[in-house]
Amino acid sequence: MAVRELTIEPITRIEGHLGAHVKIDTDARKITDAYVYSPMFRGFEIILVGREPSEAIMITQRSCGVCPVPHAYSSAMAVDQTYKVSPPPMAVALRVLVHGAEQLYDAEVGVVNLEGCDYSETLVKKFNPDWWEEAEKANAERVDIHGYEKISDIMRALNPFTGELYVQSLLIQKAGHNMAAIFGAKHPHVHSFVPGGISKANLSPSDFEAYLTLLMRHIAFSKKLVAATDDLLDFVLKQGYEDVGTREANLFSVGAYDAPEQYSAEYSDIGKFGKARLVSPGVILNGELVTTDLVEINVGVREFIGRGWYENDWEQEFSTDPLGNKIEREHPWNKRTKPKPGKYGDWTGAYSWVTASRWFKGGKSHVVELGPLARMWVTAKAGLVPESTGNSLRFELPASPIPGFFAEKLELEWKIPEKPNAVERIRARAYYLAYTAYCMLKMVGSALELLKAGKTEVWTEYERPKEGMGFGAVEAMRGACMHWCVMKNGKIHNYQYHAPSTWNLSCRDPEGQPGPVEDALLQTPVTEAGDVDGWKGIDVVRTVRSFDPCLGCAVHVHVGNKVVRHKLLPYPSNF
Amino acid sequence: MSVSGTINLIWLEGQDCAGCTISTKQASNPTLIDVLVGTIPALGEIRLVFHPTLMPDWGEDAAKVLVDAADGKYDPFVLVLEGAIPDESKAVGGVFCVVGEVGERILKLEDVVRDLSKRCAAAVALGSCASFGGIPHGSPNPTGARGLLDFLGKDWKSGLGLPVVCVPGCPPRPDNIIQALGSLVLVARGVTPVPELDEWHRPKFLYGYTAHELCPICGFYAEGKDAHAFGELGCLGGIGCKGIITNCNASTSWTDGYGGCTRTGVPCFGCADPNFPDPPTSPFFAKAPAMAFVKETFAGNWGHFKMGLARLKRRKI
Repeated sequence: MAVRELTIEPITRIEGHLGAHVKIDTDARKITDAYVYSPMFRGFEIILVGREPSEAIMITQRSCGVCPVPHAYSSAMAVDQTYKVSPPPMAVALRVLVHGAEQLYDAEVGVVNLEGCDYSETLVKKFNPDWWEEAEKANAERVDIHGYEKISDIMRALNPFTGELYVQSLLIQKAGHNMAAIFGAKHPHVHSFVPGGISKANLSPSDFEAYLTLLMRHIAFSKKLVAATDDLLDFVLKQGYEDVGTREANLFSVGAYDAPEQYSAEYSDIGKFGKARLVSPGVILNGELVTTDLVEINVGVREFIGRGWYENDWEQEFSTDPLGNKIEREHPWNKRTKPKPGKYGDWTGAYSWVTASRWFKGGKSHVVELGPLARMWVTAKAGLVPESTGNSLRFELPASPIPGFFAEKLELEWKIPEKPNAVERIRARAYYLAYTAYCMLKMVGSALELLKAGKTEVWTEYERPKEGMGFGAVEAMRGACMHWCVMKNGKIHNYQYHAPSTWNLSCRDPEGQPGPVEDALLQTPVTEAGDVDGWKGIDVVRTVRSFDPCLGCAVHVHVGNKVVRHKLLPYPSNF
Repeated sequence: MSVSGTINLIWLEGQDCAGCTISTKQASNPTLIDVLVGTIPALGEIRLVFHPTLMPDWGEDAAKVLVDAADGKYDPFVLVLEGAIPDESKAVGGVFCVVGEVGERILKLEDVVRDLSKRCAAAVALGSCASFGGIPHGSPNPTGARGLLDFLGKDWKSGLGLPVVCVPGCPPRPDNIIQALGSLVLVARGVTPVPELDEWHRPKFLYGYTAHELCPICGFYAEGKDAHAFGELGCLGGIGCKGIITNCNASTSWTDGYGGCTRTGVPCFGCADPNFPDPPTSPFFAKAPAMAFVKETFAGNWGHFKMGLARLKRRKI
C-alpha cells in the first residue's frame, strides 16, 4: 500500500494551537494513523497554586477567549463548594443567562463561520467539484423557512465573508456578547461571577427587557440556521459522507442550565440538581446510557499523562471523594501538573501538551466524546426534561416577528442519529443553538418570577474558610468544562481543570487508546479530489473542525473587488 | 510618511486565548466588516494575510506566509501579536509555543516574532499578555512568558519609526482594539498624526485616564457611599476595585452601550494593568493600595474646596 504522511500545523479556524499528523493509505483512500497535538503551554494550574480560590474564577476564564463563561461557571461552582456558600436563586439564574448568551454566539460562529466555510461554494468547488454539480440541481426542502431554493444557494450563502449566512451570523453573534455583558459586565472574560453569587448592581426589569430583545433575534436566526443546516447536511450525507469522522457512540455530558431554586454549594447535592438541569448530564457507552448522576460522573474521571509532555510522579492525596466514593490516583483532585517538555514530532513518544482524560467504569477506561452531539444525545435519551422523548428532543420556538426572518412559531425535533460523524456533530450544534435559545427564554421567565416574588438578592455573604474542596462542571459549546479545587490555609493547594476540548483532543493513553478526535480520524475515507501529492487534507480538517476545537471566528479577508452580497439586517448598524 | 496601496496585517497568536480576536469582532465604531470591505475610505485596502483563528488556508499553505513575510513578500505589513512570548530556552528538550511547520522547519513563536520585527512597518501588542505578559507571566511564570515590549525593548523602532504600541486589557474593549489598529493605519496613510504614547507605550487617547476617573458611578465615591456587598450600588473600592490604579476605559461600557465593569456593579480587577494578575491587582477582592486613595482624598478635598469657592463667584456666561 502507498502511504502519504501529512502534517497539518497550524490547523486554522480553530481557537488555539493545534496540529495533526496523519498517515493516509492512498490506494484505499483511508486514514490509517492519526495524532493530534497542541504545541502551546502556559501553565495555568501552576500559576493558580497559592492564590485565593476566588481568583481562579477570573484566571481560568483566560484559558479561552472563545468560551470563557463555562470556566467562570464551573470555577464558581467549585469555589462555592470550597467556601461552602450557596448563591441565592436570582444569582444562579443570572449566571445561567450569561452562560446561555455565550453558547448562542458560540454556536452561530461554529456552525457558520468556522465549520460552515468547509461546505461553502468556494471550498466545495475546489475540493469536491462533483458535489457542486449535484448541489445546483438539488432543491432545498425547507425553502419556506430559510429562503434558499437550491442547495447550491446555501453553499453560496456560506462563502467566507461574502455569503449571506456568513455575514448575518457575524452580525448576529454580537448580540450574544451583548447579552452576556448585561449581567457579566464584559465578554470575553466576564467579571461578575463571584463566590456565592454574582456582582450585578441595580438589577431591574429593563435588564431583562434588553436581554429578551436580543434573544428574540437569536431565535429568529436559529430557525433559519437549523433549516439551512438540515438541508445542507442531508445533501452532504447523500454524497457518501457518513463515514467521515465516525466513531462508536461513547458520549459524555455534565449538563447545563441549572434550575435556580435547586442549585446549592453542597457536593452531596450535585447529583440531584444535576438531574434538574435543562441539558442533562450523563454518560453513554456503546449506545447505552449508563448514568445521569454527576457524582458518579465525577468519581469516574481519570486524567492520565499518557503521551503528554508532563511528569507522572505525584502522590495520591485523597482516596475518596467527600461522600466516601473511591477515587483513583489519576482523579483531578489528586493529579498534579508538572511540565516536561519533550521532542517535537516524536510519534513514538510524548507528542502533545494535552493529556489523556478518560472515564472509568467497570474496570475499564473509556474514550468518550464530548460536545453538542453528546449532550443532545444524552438529554434526548435520559428523559429528565419534558422535551426528551427517549430518542429525540422536541421543543417549540415561539413566533419571532423580525423583518426578513421566518416569523411563525416552529416546532423542532432533533433525532438521535445512527452514529456520531462529522456531519452529525455540526447538525447537533445547530440544534443546540435553537435549544439554548429556547432554554434561555424559560430562564428569563424564571428570573422574572423571582423578581416578582421579591427574591432579588444576588449574593450570599460569606467568611473565607481555611480548608475546603469542590467540583464544578458545566457544558461549554464544544464539551464539558470541569474544575476541581483543593484549598488549604485559605489558599489554593491544588487546582485542576479540564477545558472543553481537553477530552476530545486528548492524546494516546497508557493503554495506547487514541483520543476521540484521533479515533474519529482513523479509517476516515478521503474524498478530496485531485492528485495525491497535492492533497491538503480537507477531510482531516473537516473532521477536526466538526469537534469545534475551541474556535474563534473565521473571517476571510481577501475581499478584493467581490461584491458583498447580503441583505442588511433590520438592526441598527452598530449590531 | 505615507503608504499607498495594500497594507497587510500579520496577526500572530502566541500564548493566547483568542479573546482579543473575539473582542475585535464585537467592535462597532467601526465594525470589523466596515474595515475590511473598505467602508472607511481613508483606511485604504487592508488584507489580513495571516491569522490562525480566521484564515481559510491551513497547514503549510498558512505557515508559509510567515516565512515569505520574513523575506519581504508581504511588505508593507503591520505585525499584530496576541498572547505572550514564552522563553524557549526554558523548554529544555521541547517547545512552549510553535505557530507552524514548513517542511522540516518548526516555526517557534520566538523566532517568528524576531524575524518579522526586522521588517514590519509597525508592531502592535494586543491585550495584556502581548503587552506585558499577562496571565502566562503570572507568578511563578512557569514558561518565562513576557510581552512584546519586553521582548523587543522600549527603544525598538519599526520600519515607520514607531515603537511597540501596547493595547492592554483582558481582552481590550472591542472599540479600543479597532481604533488603535485603525489609528496606526491612518498614520501610515499620512492622514493623522502619530498617536501619543504613555510610559507603557499605550495610546493616550484610549488609556490616558484611569477606570476610576471615567467611572460612571464615581459619584458614589464623591458622596462617600461605599458598596459593602456584591450587587450593592455604591463605590466598589471597598470590595476590591482597582480602577483607581488602572488606566482603562472599560468601566464606561463594554460595547454598544452594554455592560462595562463598574457600570454593571463589578469592581475593576486591573486586567489592563501591567502587573495583572499579580499584586497590586491581586488578590482580586483585596483593596487597592491605600496610598492611591490617600493621595486622591487630599487632592480631592482641596479640589472640592476650590470648586466650592468657584461656585460662589458671579456668573459671567
